[in-house]
Amino acid sequence: MAETAALTDSRRCFFLYDSSKVQEEGDPTRDGIYYFYPEDTPIDEQELLCGQLAGVCRCVSELSSSPVRLLRLRKSKYAVCMKDNFIWALSCVVDIPDVSVCDLLDQLIALFCFYNGPVRQSYQLYSQEELALQWARYLSHLQGGSTELHSIFSCLRTIDSTHIDPLLLLKAALILQACQRCPLVLAGCILYRGRVVSTQMPPALTVKVMVYETQTFSQDYRVTDNGLSSFVGSPPSFTVTTQVFLTPTELHMLRCPPVDRACRSHCSQPPCQPHKSRLLSRTLSDTPTTDTDSSSLDLTQCPPTFYQTMPSSPRSSLSDEPCFSSSPSRVNTPLHSSLLNQSEYFTPETHEHSVSNGSNLCSVKEQILTGSLTGLNTKQDIDANSGSETRSEGLNSDQDIQSEEIKALTNGHQQSNCLENHLDASDRDNHIQSEEDKLDTNNYVTNKSKFQGETEEKTRTKSRQVEGRLKEKSEPRNAPPPRDTLVDTPLVPSVLYQHRVRGLVLALLVEPEFNTDPTAREEVHHSSLASLNGLEAHLRNTSPGTPGPPGPYTFAHYDCIQSTLTTNVCGRSAGPQDRAFVRATALLHSHFSQLDTLQEAIVRNAGAAVYGTRSTAQETYFLQQGTPVRNSGSPDPQDSAFSLPRKARQRLLKHGVNLL
Amino acid sequence: MKCLLVANESAEVLFYWTDNEFEQRIQDQYVVSQEEGERLPAFEDSINTLFAPIIISCSTMVDRLGDNYTSFSTENNHIYVLHQFEECLYIAVNGDGDETEEDLKRKIYVMKKLTEIMFGMVTLSGALLRKELRPQDTEQRNRLWKKLRSLLETYSCLREHDQSFLVEAVERLIHPTLCEQCIEFLERRLVQQINSNVDRAGEEVQHAFILVHTKLLAFYSSRNASSLNPSDLLALIILVQDLYPSKVDLDDTPEELENSSVPDVFYTPEPSPPERESVQPRGDSPPVFQFVDPDVQMAEDSLQTLEVPTPDPSAPSRVFLEAKECPMMPHSMYCLSLWPGITLVLLTKIPNSHIALSVYYFLEAFVKLEKRLCEGHEGAAATRGQPSVQEQRGRLEKLIKGWASMDIQTSHLQNVWTDFKNKAFTRSGSGFTRDLLPSCRNMKTQLCGVYRQFFAAECMGSSQRLAPHLQERALNMVQEKLMDWKDFLLVKSKRNITMVSYPFFCIEYFEFPGLIHFIYVDRSSGQMIAPSLNVTDRTVSELGKGPLADFIKNKVWSLVATTRRYLHKGYATVTLRDGDYFYCYFLWFENEAGYKLEVIDIPSFPDDTAPIGMLTCDYYKKLLRYYSKRHQNEVVKCYELLTVHLGVIPNEYILQHCSQLARKLWEPSRIPLL
Repeated sequence: MAETAALTDSRRCFFLYDSSKVQEEGDPTRDGIYYFYPEDTPIDEQELLCGQLAGVCRCVSELSSSPVRLLRLRKSKYAVCMKDNFIWALSCVVDIPDVSVCDLLDQLIALFCFYNGPVRQSYQLYSQEELALQWARYLSHLQGGSTELHSIFSCLRTIDSTHIDPLLLLKAALILQACQRCPLVLAGCILYRGRVVSTQMPPALTVKVMVYETQTFSQDYRVTDNGLSSFVGSPPSFTVTTQVFLTPTELHMLRCPPVDRACRSHCSQPPCQPHKSRLLSRTLSDTPTTDTDSSSLDLTQCPPTFYQTMPSSPRSSLSDEPCFSSSPSRVNTPLHSSLLNQSEYFTPETHEHSVSNGSNLCSVKEQILTGSLTGLNTKQDIDANSGSETRSEGLNSDQDIQSEEIKALTNGHQQSNCLENHLDASDRDNHIQSEEDKLDTNNYVTNKSKFQGETEEKTRTKSRQVEGRLKEKSEPRNAPPPRDTLVDTPLVPSVLYQHRVRGLVLALLVEPEFNTDPTAREEVHHSSLASLNGLEAHLRNTSPGTPGPPGPYTFAHYDCIQSTLTTNVCGRSAGPQDRAFVRATALLHSHFSQLDTLQEAIVRNAGAAVYGTRSTAQETYFLQQGTPVRNSGSPDPQDSAFSLPRKARQRLLKHGVNLL
Repeated sequence: MKCLLVANESAEVLFYWTDNEFEQRIQDQYVVSQEEGERLPAFEDSINTLFAPIIISCSTMVDRLGDNYTSFSTENNHIYVLHQFEECLYIAVNGDGDETEEDLKRKIYVMKKLTEIMFGMVTLSGALLRKELRPQDTEQRNRLWKKLRSLLETYSCLREHDQSFLVEAVERLIHPTLCEQCIEFLERRLVQQINSNVDRAGEEVQHAFILVHTKLLAFYSSRNASSLNPSDLLALIILVQDLYPSKVDLDDTPEELENSSVPDVFYTPEPSPPERESVQPRGDSPPVFQFVDPDVQMAEDSLQTLEVPTPDPSAPSRVFLEAKECPMMPHSMYCLSLWPGITLVLLTKIPNSHIALSVYYFLEAFVKLEKRLCEGHEGAAATRGQPSVQEQRGRLEKLIKGWASMDIQTSHLQNVWTDFKNKAFTRSGSGFTRDLLPSCRNMKTQLCGVYRQFFAAECMGSSQRLAPHLQERALNMVQEKLMDWKDFLLVKSKRNITMVSYPFFCIEYFEFPGLIHFIYVDRSSGQMIAPSLNVTDRTVSELGKGPLADFIKNKVWSLVATTRRYLHKGYATVTLRDGDYFYCYFLWFENEAGYKLEVIDIPSFPDDTAPIGMLTCDYYKKLLRYYSKRHQNEVVKCYELLTVHLGVIPNEYILQHCSQLARKLWEPSRIPLL
């Protein structure tokens, strides 16, 4: 009895089950389990839950001739997705609104497809273990570190704009626009420490792009926990390209913004213009909340003041260092240098990289770029490192061959996918990947620290296996794509380019040709590097913004269009008032999502009254703190609860929320 | 597309109800899956097969995960709600969007309530309930299922159309003078006369009331009777409505439909069966696909001919109602139709009903014992909190002997009791340990069995009733009394309060500009006041009819659902601005003098708890008990007010209206039932 009560209780549970694998009477259920989270769940329990839920969902969907969407148990509930014999189920506590948990599951599946392509195909290409790592990563991305409010609204985590000089946001937007001068760049976003600084993409896409960044960021934090300096695991600046898959709608939205693309070289327009135009119709005070608005500012329309503060066009932003002067370099901190000393794998060159900043670094890179663009750099790196027994010449030549292949096959998503795996694997092991390597798109660095020898070896073996498989499968790749895709429409391969400068990441969705176009890469890299360095330095030096004395009220403001949340509920240390607020907000949000005509609501219990209001673009929730005046709950015009709308209007103005 | 089924743990369907659409869907699935030339299985078998995996999975989940499904929803918005009561699993399905998950849950609870009203304590034993719900005899089974289905449909119809079943509170006809006269008449003339008559066969009228459609005109309880709680009263109104369906619920069907129906059908005073059948939506003609199996077919055929065993008009229905001492006290219910739409209901205490008390007493003792044993208590600790074991043992011995002499089959009970005694009290037995559990459960079943023999309707002697002439006399007396009022009452029941016509509100209407509708409920007495929404009169004078009335009606229905959702989570005040309207909901407590008591935090319940209402699990009773803990020396009353205003009215005025309205309505709601 109740042997696995914990499973259905508080812990989040997620699984992917392929019922086509379990059709005969004798087929063991475990064959159908592709992924199960928490991974340490005993297999018997996994089988029990998967078997029961999959069976019952199938039965219900047959009865109703429609897939099951939501399954409730007494203590938890599961959002369910059934497609092509696959069943995904994601559980959460019952307090989270239905609509939120269903959104979350959709996001999770979309994330997987974004990075791995169609699900059936992914499982044909890669092993369950490899893909399990992916699922785990996406899961932790979606639920990682977010407050309950975030899981209710499933919103983007944005940088707290109230503590940031708006000019920095504008700067970020300008960097993105500058990148778009390259015609191969579709859209981009800038992230800092796992939060959005500026984005040109629709929220659903931004979330997907953020996975990688959050992963790296949290990894660095793990290092910090070990007592080492943060960001030690990665070099201060490098670029990565990753194969990703876009839905045709997404691609269309990115490729065909309603504004004429021809004029893009001189007035770059963000691709998600339809949303923007609506946003612009909102009040001015909303503008600083997120910066997409500012990114849509045409340069030519910029008031002269902007030019004064930032005396550089995007082109010349490379040299605007005086404006965004760099902060003292991280390397100078004792911790960091000591670590550098003990790590063997920092070649003098990479040392240079980590030390260098701004134009200095740039010049180094330029040298390299002009020198050799292919495997040469890697080889240099490898030679510089102590030759390990496993790092055979053969491997290097393999890589060379592979690079040739990739150049030949412009659209080879499998190769790139494979590349991504390399990157992931090496990332997990805190390997250094210098940007030059990434520029080459196919080499991964096998630098080795003495602590990591073993894991690295595994990684390498694995990557070789992957390469092997890649070759095996390179032929069927030309065959028509498998029919059983997750989405009804096929996914379109595309490329995600990421340029990381310490905590700052520039992520660009680019056309696949970008990978094979060194000029384009160079251009993008050049045009943004210095500005990114500058921006990073500034953001790093911005005080994290000590949350001032919390006002006598609690609020949450959700922007449905940009999917952003502004709130003064701080994280996990929620007091009783905050708890009450979050509970009421969950209920009201759920109600708003069910009833389109509902505009505002006040709900009150003895402890708290919460006011919620919404328009097509936003939802706002407000709670006035302090013990309410004694009341009976009977209708009373003097009741303080009914003055909430007025108070909310007054109080929230200073947070940039305009309810007028 | 609707369905409700009850199954036991071995996946046997004990009862099912489907609408035609659902039935068709199931048939279609079988048509697809059947080989050419193969016969379709009986519908009952199909439904059994299709639901079996779900039912089995449910018990697996309970056994192994300690959790259970409560609902599924599909992408095409079909909803499945599941609830397990003891050994019975209830599944309700909706595929047409008419019902929400909450509605389905409520329907399941109502179904449960109806079985309790009909079978009493028998429902406490899974094995016996199975026999009761699914009699071996096909004819008997069909009759029972037909009855249950009809009750479910009646309930659904009432919930859909009647405000009092929407908020689950009894609506009274607002006519204080007549009401008072009637109560006096029931007390002084009717009940007294019957109870002093020798032909009452040992029965004693405890409650008598007059219903005009679903509304209560007068209610009288004799002094020694325990009060009838609102939950039971509402359930009884469903039973009465099922016997004498009233046209009031169909008021807002479109004109043409209304004209095409034969109005007389609804007004048949003496329920001659063939006519009643025509009223019931299921109809008599069996669906084409049903029961092709020759054996079953024969049973069905014989049912067709036998099915109309002229129900004895003077035979009472057996109902089990909550009393102070015992939650399922057997009563006989006599429904006497005065005129179409007006019914006199008599509830009598039956001879031997005290046996129910003793059975319940021991049943409870064994339930407690079982619980303690399950929790791991042994020996004396297992019986802690109960009177001395020896004393109870002696009492039970005596009772069993007494029952044996009463023409009751007690051999099983005696065997089980001996077995229990051997285990519990002898040296060689296990004593009060877990090993006693099976015997304990057997005792429970056997006690339920005794209860069933005493009180189940078909087990009672058919002669046990108030003499027919006595019933007739009662009928005539009340008819005579109300003759002049008859037409007034029928109209009044449809226009109990209207926003303009009712003189009291005539003033209000001008006093409360922008007020469109309200519902005021006194939860302590389980009564409500609300303007009528479905006015049928041709003199369309206000919001009574037409698309606007429909719109308002739908809004009110969804508002009630919404406010319940918030109340369930502990929010007692809700205001909503929705489209062009502004809605308010308030729940508050007062003492008897009308002084408003301070608000407290109402508990927030998890989603899988019973639905909020009075008909099934009485949420408000528990709420009042909860609140009263803080006000021990006061009588606490609980009120609710819902209002619908035009959205253009400024909030201050709306709140002022609400407050004035609550004050004005307080007086009429205090007219006592008695």
